[in-house]
Parts: sequence; C-alpha cells; structure tokens
Amino acid sequence: MSRKIIPFIVAFVLICLVMVVAGVFAFSGAVTAEKFGSTVAWSQPFAAAESMKVIDVTGDGQDDLFIQNSSGLNVYDGSGTSILGLDYASPKTTLGDVNGDGSEDIIVYYMGVGAAVDVISKSSVSNLAQALSIGFPSRVAVLRFASGSQIVLGDNGGGVLALSADGASLWSGNVGSAEIRGMDDALIGGAVNVAIASNDGTITVFNSSGETVWAGSQEQLRRMRAFDLNADGNSEIITGGEYGLFRIYSAVDGSILFEKSLGQAVSEVREVELNGDPSSREIVVGGKDGGVWAFSFNGSTASQMWTGSLSDKVTEIAGLDINEDGKQEAVIGDDAGNVAIFTDNGTRNNLPDHSSGITRIDIGKLGGERYVVVADGSEVQTNKVNFSSIPGFQFTPLVVGLIVSAVILVIAAILASIPARPEMKLSLQDKSRESLEAERRMLKESIADVERLRKAGEVSGDAYLSRLKRLRGDLAENEAAFKSAGHQVKAETFACPHCGGTLELGMDKCEYCGQVILA
Amino acid sequence: MEAFLCGTAIAGIIVISLFFYLLNTARKKVKTTNQFGKKEFAPVYVSIADKPDAIIRGMNKFVTETQKTETSGDKWRWIPLLIFFAGIGLMLVDVLLFLLGYTSFVFIIGGFVLWIAAIVMARSLRKSDILDFSPRYHGTKEILHTLRDDLKPGTTFLGHLDLTGSMLQNKVARETKDTQQRTTQHFSDPWLSLKAKLYDGNVLRLTAMQKTKKRKSYWKRSRISGKSKLKPEKFKGSQQELKVRIVVNPEAYAIRPNHTFSTGKDVGKYRVEQLNTDGGIINILAVSPFEEVAQTDILAFLKSAYSLLERKAA
Repeated sequence: MSRKIIPFIVAFVLICLVMVVAGVFAFSGAVTAEKFGSTVAWSQPFAAAESMKVIDVTGDGQDDLFIQNSSGLNVYDGSGTSILGLDYASPKTTLGDVNGDGSEDIIVYYMGVGAAVDVISKSSVSNLAQALSIGFPSRVAVLRFASGSQIVLGDNGGGVLALSADGASLWSGNVGSAEIRGMDDALIGGAVNVAIASNDGTITVFNSSGETVWAGSQEQLRRMRAFDLNADGNSEIITGGEYGLFRIYSAVDGSILFEKSLGQAVSEVREVELNGDPSSREIVVGGKDGGVWAFSFNGSTASQMWTGSLSDKVTEIAGLDINEDGKQEAVIGDDAGNVAIFTDNGTRNNLPDHSSGITRIDIGKLGGERYVVVADGSEVQTNKVNFSSIPGFQFTPLVVGLIVSAVILVIAAILASIPARPEMKLSLQDKSRESLEAERRMLKESIADVERLRKAGEVSGDAYLSRLKRLRGDLAENEAAFKSAGHQVKAETFACPHCGGTLELGMDKCEYCGQVILA
Repeated sequence: MEAFLCGTAIAGIIVISLFFYLLNTARKKVKTTNQFGKKEFAPVYVSIADKPDAIIRGMNKFVTETQKTETSGDKWRWIPLLIFFAGIGLMLVDVLLFLLGYTSFVFIIGGFVLWIAAIVMARSLRKSDILDFSPRYHGTKEILHTLRDDLKPGTTFLGHLDLTGSMLQNKVARETKDTQQRTTQHFSDPWLSLKAKLYDGNVLRLTAMQKTKKRKSYWKRSRISGKSKLKPEKFKGSQQELKVRIVVNPEAYAIRPNHTFSTGKDVGKYRVEQLNTDGGIINILAVSPFEEVAQTDILAFLKSAYSLLERKAA
C-alpha cells in the first residue's frame, strides 16, 4: 500500500472514532451547560432554627414563615415582617388544625408549669395543658386519627403521652428509654397510626388507642420518617442509624423492605420526587460526613440512583422543581454553611455559602413568589432560586469533534507529504561481469577472514554469526546481481526456510536459528 | 485539598514537559550523544563495488536524498506546538464557562485529544530526523577520490564502509573478567575495508579498524550499608588500527626496506607495529592511540608504505 495513503486511512479511522464518540455525547443529552443561582429577597436575624415551615398560620390565605428555636418562635409574613414573636423554654413545635377552624395551629410543647402544651391559633395563644406527666420535650406531632385529632408528645426519656384536642390525657406509653428522635403518622390499610422511634433504636407503632401495633429495634437511631411511598394506603418507615444503617420497614408489620449500610451516621432523610415518575418515590439520605445518597422505591424495594457529597454533615434536605422540568431537585445544606442543588442524575450545583451551618431549609410561596428559605446559625434568609442553561450546548461535542477531525486530517496530509526516510544501507555496485566477479572474490576472502578470526578466538560467537550472516547476504545479493545482469553464475548460497538467513549450499543445519534443513 | 494540589502539580509537570518536548521538536534540538558523551552519527553501511566516480556520485546522492527527507519535515516542525496552543485555547473555553458558573469538560477533552495528536505528529517528525554524517563518510570519499587515478582502468574498488557503530553486539571480539568479576567487552570494528587493483599492477588491501573497550554495568554491594547499587557502563578507551597489504607486482617493483618506514616508527598519527615483506607481499599493521584518524593520515601512511618499493628500470 502506498506510503501516502496510509496516514489518510489511519486519519479516517480516527475521525470516525472521534465523531462517533462526539455523536454519542451530543445525542445522549449527557452534555449540558446549566447553572443554578439565587438572589436574597429578605433575611431576618434568627439563631439556630430547630423547626421551620412556610405555611399559613394567620388564616389570611397567604403563606407565612413559621420558625422556632430553643428559646422561642416567630412568624414572618411574606415580606419578612415579624407578625408574631414568643419566648418559650425549650419548646418543640408542630403544626396542625387542632381546633377544627380550618387553619393551621401552632402546637408548642415546652417546659412551663411542668411540661405544658400551648396552642397558637391565628396569633392567639392559649394554654392547652400543663403539669403533664411527661419529661423534657423532644418531639410533638398532631395526628388526625379517625376518632379525632390527637397531640402526641415524646420526651427525652422515651416517654410518650397523647392528648385530645381539648388537652385531656388519652393514653401514654414508652418507646425505649432514650430521647424520642422520630414521630410521624403511619398509614396501615388507610388508617392513621403513629410511628415513634427513640435514640436507642426502638421503633413502635401505636394505634389511636395507644395500643402497640408492632415494635422492633435496630442499631442506635438518629432519624425516622414515615411516607406512603407507593400510595397503597400503607406507609413505609425509613430509619437512619448512628452507624450508617439505612432501612425501610413496612408500617404494617415492621418487616424490612430494604436495608443498606452507608458507612457513616445518617443525619437526615427526606422524600424528593427526583425522577418525575409518580409511580415511584425517591428518598434522599444525608450522612454525618457529608455523604448524599438517592434511592428510588418502586413499591416493594429500593435501588440506589446516585451518590454525591458535601463537605460537612448534611443537616437538611428539601425538594423543589427549580428548572420546571417536572422533576424535583434536592436542595441540601450542611453544617459548614454550604447549600447545593443536586439534580435528578446527581450533578451538584452550588448556591452561595452561608457564614454558619445550615439548620433548616424549606420551600414555599411567600408574597406570591416561590422561595427557598434557608435558616443558618444566625439568620433566616429567603432566596429566589433561578436556573439558566446555554441553548444548544448539547451539540458542542460535535463542534469539538469537527475541530479535532480537521486537525487529524491536517496532520495526516503533512505526514503523507514527507518522503520516506531512506534506508541507511547503500549498495554501490558495478554490474559488469568483471566487477561482480571481483566483488564475489572479495566477499569470499572476507568470509574466510571472519572464519580465521573465529578460529584465532578474536571474535565472539554472536559477532561471528552476525558478520557471517551479513557477508553471506551480500554474497546472495551478488548472485542475484549476476542473474539480473544475464551472466551465468554457480549458486553457492540459499536461504534458510525457517529464518531466511543466507547459508552456503550443502549445509544441513542453520547456524542462525539452529533448525535442521532437510531439503 | 491536598489531593487537588497534588493532582494539579502532576498535571502541571506533564503539561510543561509536553510543552518543552514540542518546543525542542520545533527548534530541532535533539540529543545526539550516546551515554558516554560521544557524538552519534547516521548509522550508514555502504557496500562498495564500483568505479571511484560512481561511488562518490552515489555517496553524494545518498546525502542529498537524506537531507531532502529531513528538510521536507523541517517546515512543519512548528505545527505540533501550534496544535498544543490550540488545545490550550480549546480548554480555555471550559475555563470561561466555569467562570460564568457553568460546568463543562467537553472542550477540555477536545484539547486533550489535540495534545495527543500533537505528540503523535512530533514523534513522526522526529523520526524523519537524520543524524549528521560521520566525518569518516566524507573522509572515505576523499580517499577514493585521491586513489581514483591509481586504479587499474576497468576495475573497481571493493569493500565496505561500516558506520553503524563501533560498540554493537555483533562487533564484540571477546569478553574478559577482572578479579571483581566485572565484565569488559572488547569491540573490533573494521569500519573501512578496501581492495583495489592498482595501475602499477599491485593489489592494495586496506582495513581501518577501531578497537574499543567498555566495562559492562554491574551491581555493587556497599560494605557499610549492604545496599546494592547499579554501576553504569563505562567507556574504557579506544584506538585505531590500520592494516595494509600490498601484493607487489614483481615486474615493476623491488621491495627495499628502509629506516624511515620500519617497525616501531611513527608515521603521522600511526606507529608501525608489524611489518612483513616476505614472499613479495608487504603486510603492515599500524596502531594509533587516537580515537579518530583523518583521511589525510591514512593517505599519508599509504604514501609512506610505498617508500618500501623501488621501481625497476624499464
């Protein structure tokens, strides 16, 4: 094949390869240029929020921002103006319509005259109960049982107490003997029950009468949440352990549907609709060392979608469809003040950092605008999150592929234009019979010389063979020159059928390769 | 952070190395010395069996052809460096996108592929580089040119000019070991061999040979720490030998030994080690302690050797 053609063939193959790869990247949608940004709408000083929710607590039809920390609670309207501010000692709060007036009430479980519960309805505070036989506040939830709403309190010693909407004690119990770390409504056959978990790993599901439906235990527990992931009327209870155990239980009987060890303590678990497919729900899990995992639950078990990371302990996870593609993005904050958005495929996009650790994140409409509300160690901030992308960017691999292909083609053309490097062996031979015969004599003398040197021990075995091979090769060339010039010559050499080395006629063993020559 | 800095440092070293490799390709700055610091030359082997003018023409043509190959590659030597910069330009697009808040690696990958293409092209261009021709190549032409009128009409010079290297494995004459079991290789390189039937009826045989010694690399164990250390190869010296054999035409010459050209005498860079004139054949072995001898030294020696001949009266 011509030396000028080969570079172009190689170039053609490479160009095909480059363009195929570029095409795969371009048409798979894997290449995008997208970014998320945020602008601060307003912020208010508020230290270390423990609970935060965008919800209408004033009954005016407009959502407000409810926020609570270890010394009290505040409610801000859509423009950030404080409309309620109350001090409490070590309060725990929840939201729910206790009095049946159609608007959300704030239920505060705090240490007043003993353990006490207040209900704040439309900014009006009323004491529901006090001197309750329960310990230091840890969790509170409003459960809408079929028999009526109940306020369930959990203390830091595993004690549980249920109150009626008017403050009367209904039932009590114990879940382990450590701090209650999770309390959520769990559906069983469509009926509301309450799932409660304590720090020592005990999980118990109670019905509306306070009877235990089932109880179980696992490794020390940090988080417990209940969701009906497949909307079959039976909730799934999700737990995160102190030593990395991530489990999904069936709320019906406590059977384990899925479990995985994540290698670090689970610090947060939330449901986020990542893939936009309502037939499956996704769970995003945050770890104490910054690990982030996304799982998809299909109704019977879960599978891992992707993993990512932040630089510190994940403190909060929230879901929001920022780019309006029908899929929620996970907005995740960590203890170092970083806030990042993870898309459905796990791509991380950072939002501006905060000066202190993120404590709570919630999403909702304030004053008609959709905001991501972020609370850190010192303030609460409402952010307008935006999304932008470069249109047509997915085709840039094709552009890059074309540039690379053009360069490859240029290189091939240049290399084809360079003549072949000449062989470093030059034979200057006169074709006359006399000259060829003289050359033949000279070569035979040289061969005799080399053999004499070998006998005298003046040349090593390898060097002898190498020189002999070259001289015999020259002799064979001389014979060929004789023939091509049309002169008669008695052939004295032949080529070894095994290695191709030139040998003298009559030899039955090749000196170069050691093979026996039969013919 | 440490991993990032380490990765950045490694990437930086690779990029700088690549830049200088391509820059040296562009400036045609290549290493031309061997491990002993000796200049290396084009490894040419010339088989000689032709008339002197044809040999000289052939040798000149060969030089022209190799230079043509080299110069045809020279005009493209800056292209790999330009491709390297084009790769950087492509990568900067991603840097710009990053500054604008977007994350993209498409242009970085493209730039990287361009760098690979630049390396491939630079290597191909370097392959077209040819080392300088040895002074022996041009010196041999001078010898042939000088002797051209002394050649019997219609005959040819026979022999070879072997400039493939003096320390090749196929030129090992013998190996010796010293008391410490270190191996020394003795090389024998007959780089020029010429036979010619002369105008005066004499037959001249000339062999120029370089003899070289090299100690092979070996492992040496330290007596104190017990660690083994690889000692590199060492060049132990080189000398030139010249063998001249003249079969004298008894009808034209009588051999007359003289004092100016006898055993032990210095003739130019050579010293006559052996001289034998038995049977009407002059055999001379001369040795030069110099690593290189010029064509003028060889020609001067031949001229001196002819002082042993006395022309008979017609």
